[in-house]
Amino acid sequence: MAKKIQITNNIRRLRFFANEMTQQQLAEKVGVSRQTIIAIEAGKYSPSLELAFKVAATFGVNIGEVFDYEIIE
Amino acid sequence: MSYHEKRAIASMITWTLILLAYCTYTFRKYQLGVIATDDMKSWSSTILLFIGVGIVAAIIIQILFHILLSVAVTVQEKKRNGTCDDKEIQKTIESDMVTDEMNQLIELKSMRIAFIVVAIGFVTALLSQVLNYSSTVMLNIMFVSFLIGSLSGELTQLYFYRKGVNNG
Repeated sequence: MAKKIQITNNIRRLRFFANEMTQQQLAEKVGVSRQTIIAIEAGKYSPSLELAFKVAATFGVNIGEVFDYEIIE
Repeated sequence: MSYHEKRAIASMITWTLILLAYCTYTFRKYQLGVIATDDMKSWSSTILLFIGVGIVAAIIIQILFHILLSVAVTVQEKKRNGTCDDKEIQKTIESDMVTDEMNQLIELKSMRIAFIVVAIGFVTALLSQVLNYSSTVMLNIMFVSFLIGSLSGELTQLYFYRKGVNNG
């Protein structure tokens, strides 16, 4: 049986290093609601690949630096 | 609480009110003997009436909800930043109302739950005919299952907004 994975992210840290970018500012840049950014940051929602790339592009980093995964046993 | 959660609550209130109004109205009429168990015409007209009332009530409650939301956002923004103008307030309201991929996913999942509830209601309604109940029982089961289906769809939305949602 395929193992389950948990998507983790560094958005909070990346926002901090991007001049304390607010969740609202990030939401506007990637074209989603602030609620969605909150959910992604809290690990309550795994974004689509398109949105994940948009977030990474906003911070000017690779997607792997924004999102990572953990295998759940 | 986000705009979408508040809207789901407003819709839940609407469906609950319609359901309660329908149950109270028909129960009273039935007790007074105005509607007989087999009077298909009366039951149909009552249900048609409540479909109309439901649509009007849903529109009115949504309008009231959006007015109250705009007032609440304006007051909140003015309190937070006394010098903010109408454009900024408008921008805040619009950014709250954005429908993105997460909202669409939640809507899709909640619609699936609503559809399942309606399907169960439909099968139950058919079963009532097999068990020789009156046709009006079938009609009532189907109407109530539509209302409960809508209600459970909104409840599911609220649940996913609180708990979170994953693809797949």
